[in-house]
Amino acid sequence: MGTFEQMLAMPPSWLDASGPTSNVVLSTRVRLARNLNDVAFPARADRTGLERVRDRILAAASAGNYLGNALVLIMDESSKAQRQILVERHLTGQEFAEDGFGRAVIIGDREIVSAVINEEDHLRLASLRSGLQPMDAWRLVDRIDTELEQNLHYAYSSDWGYLTSCPTNVGTGMRVSVLIHLVGLVRSDRTAQILGSISKLGLSVRGFYGEKSAALGGFFQVSNQMTLGQSEDDIAYTVERVAGQLVTLELEARSELGEKGGQEIEDEVHRAYGILSSARIISSEEMMALCSSLRFGITEGFIDSVDLATVNRLLVSTQPGHLKCFDGRDPGPEQRDRMRADLIRKELASGNGV
Amino acid sequence: MICDECGRPATVRFVEMVDGEMRLMRLCDECASARGIGLSLAPLAGPLVSMLMGLLEEVGAEEAAELQGPVCPGCGLSYKDFRRTGKLGCADCYTSFENELRPLIRRIHGSTRHTGGIPSKAPEDVESIREVRRLKLELEKAVRHEEYERAAEFRDRIRSLESTPRKEDGDGNV
Ligand SMILES: [Zn+2]
Ligand SMILES: [Zn+2]
Repeated sequence: MGTFEQMLAMPPSWLDASGPTSNVVLSTRVRLARNLNDVAFPARADRTGLERVRDRILAAASAGNYLGNALVLIMDESSKAQRQILVERHLTGQEFAEDGFGRAVIIGDREIVSAVINEEDHLRLASLRSGLQPMDAWRLVDRIDTELEQNLHYAYSSDWGYLTSCPTNVGTGMRVSVLIHLVGLVRSDRTAQILGSISKLGLSVRGFYGEKSAALGGFFQVSNQMTLGQSEDDIAYTVERVAGQLVTLELEARSELGEKGGQEIEDEVHRAYGILSSARIISSEEMMALCSSLRFGITEGFIDSVDLATVNRLLVSTQPGHLKCFDGRDPGPEQRDRMRADLIRKELASGNGV
Repeated sequence: MICDECGRPATVRFVEMVDGEMRLMRLCDECASARGIGLSLAPLAGPLVSMLMGLLEEVGAEEAAELQGPVCPGCGLSYKDFRRTGKLGCADCYTSFENELRPLIRRIHGSTRHTGGIPSKAPEDVESIREVRRLKLELEKAVRHEEYERAAEFRDRIRSLESTPRKEDGDGNV
């Protein structure tokens, strides 16, 4: 079963840079939106209804192989700080961190699979994998879904498929998101053009933390926009193909940059490394920018004393909510920037991985 | 809030001047960027979007003039409320607002027909309903291309499916 603290002590596996094309793609997430057929969607259901939904889903999950031993967090009983951490670990959306009845989260080992209960929909099942692997992530989340639906009666119509609170999710209820580092394209001023053409292919582009977050340090989330009219396999395949093309373009841009200005880049990435390993105060924006340069330096072979997984983990472990939690209280912005710098120095000094 | 152009959830609100008259527009990221407002990258457009959003807040008054529209007996949501929030209230909303939703869903997804997975607890004839619908499309296509032999094949298969009320072969992949 585990505790929240035990979960925090282990870095999420999607950050471990072990998956395909991890030099460009941090992670792939596939989520399915589902609702029970006899209770109103969360925005219109009353407290009793929502708690009934929660308890039914928790019961179904605890009977299964995939979520049976997972960590269960009842949100009514969790602190604001804990909820912020869930957002920063990409387990829930920001809205979920606010108050609401009947909310719960189920988190599997190393955060590979998770279930969010009573967010926008009754149930959002997700799998989160390292690197670019939409098909794998889809197959995994599908197995959990298949297991759960033995015990849950989903809202479904033969015309429109799985019925969701927002019609933008109806049909498969499936969203495949790839978290991708396009530092080379950003530096070559080609992101706006390339990402613009991606939206014509039915994919959308957002920042590191979803809808409204800035695309700091060249980190973007690319995901499918349409959920109806295509099979799940086709959706996963489309995202895999387009993201694969982005990876190719990004690698081209990186090597072009290396050819044109190799020495400047070598200097810049080492400066970033220097600041990260010796600064005493670092804001989270500066951290994202410097970690972006450091990642670039590692993948281009300029820096070999740090591995990608260490940098990936820093992107999450130095977010404000995480720094709050390590010593149990809210340090305030100034103290937090010092704590962030301390943590980064410590992680980089310990060198390659944990 | 729904995009005035395409019906997807809108993220940008702004005032447009048309023939010297102010007009409120609500747009999604794509339609906004197609008009050169903001960027196709919503994240990068953050400050710009919030500036535009700030330009007009008196949407309520304008929308109060609109009709209430149909109301879902399942959850009491009116279609007008759905237009405002972009969120449906319950599974029944999909039938209560079917006429309104069909064109909207077509604009969002480019399709109104689910071809993905089927839950194991779905009514058992779902599989054959979908197969019949697929065959009817094939039949139309065959007739259009004057492939009458193929068309006859499709017609026979449709007939046999429609005469069998329940079909037990669904593996979920059509
Ligand atoms: Zn639009
Ligand atoms: Zn309803």
